[in-house]
Amino acid sequence: MTQEEALAIVMRALETLNSELDASEQIDIAPDTKLFGADSVIDSLSLVSVIVDVEGDASDALGFPISLSDERAMALEDSPFSTPTTLAAYVVDLANEPR
Amino acid sequence: MNDDEILRGTFVDLRPLVPADAAMTLGWRLGARARLLNSGAVDVEQQARWIATRPANEDNYVIQLKDGRDVGMLSLVGIDTVNKHAEPARFLLGEEVAVRGIPAAVEAMKLLYEHAFGTLDLIRLHGMIAGGNARMLKWQKYLGMREEGCMRSHYFIDGVFRDAIIVGLLKEEYLTISRPRMNALIAMAAQGAGVAGTEIKE
Repeated sequence: MTQEEALAIVMRALETLNSELDASEQIDIAPDTKLFGADSVIDSLSLVSVIVDVEGDASDALGFPISLSDERAMALEDSPFSTPTTLAAYVVDLANEPR
Repeated sequence: MNDDEILRGTFVDLRPLVPADAAMTLGWRLGARARLLNSGAVDVEQQARWIATRPANEDNYVIQLKDGRDVGMLSLVGIDTVNKHAEPARFLLGEEVAVRGIPAAVEAMKLLYEHAFGTLDLIRLHGMIAGGNARMLKWQKYLGMREEGCMRSHYFIDGVFRDAIIVGLLKEEYLTISRPRMNALIAMAAQGAGVAGTEIKE
């Protein structure tokens, strides 16, 4: 899976999130939108929605399950959930791990 | 309020809901985010009376940030100490901006689960989610809840009848699935926020 393909999955998940939010809560979607930590535009309820959709779509595309929030993600110095770009990069890392 | 009634976390605490919270919680309940919850009080007096008359088999909390700001509410209702089950309910983040970027929802739910499966020694939690509330269903499943059934056309919300999706979580599923996920998100946020000496309760 390429970074572009993974980013497309993340952006789709964010579009789905917008469809679940009220009109007053819509977020601007961009590759550098802050998803986690200081200056984030979403709460953890919405972050989980994105994680679930990305896990599902990426697993479908790859043909094997991936898990985004486990000890491996926790061990990284910079959170993979910071932006769509970092999340996509983490998906690519998981996709390319030897199995 | 007794100090030992407060459930304490890294980013949020759960403190008991009291009648003085009526105006604040009514404001949340009347907000757009609460439209998929069951309807409740229509004025502050009614809300205060409702809070004051909560039965003994409910634990009702306000979600409070560590800086003292109240940001939402969460309850455990139908606590059955014989059959050892209960229902997480009335989960609502009323101060949407204040909880951006921090795992307030995740930690609030974890504190409630710890209370249920630890302090109260329950073995099962369950709940019903209105059909169409896709974000809440995803949320509950991520936290380990399994879809157990559907009650068709059970809720009348926004002028239409909606199904109620029944979900359930057993203690062993909480310990092996939910808690590690919750801890991961809380720990990552603590790391990012530079919360010193953070220890995630296992």
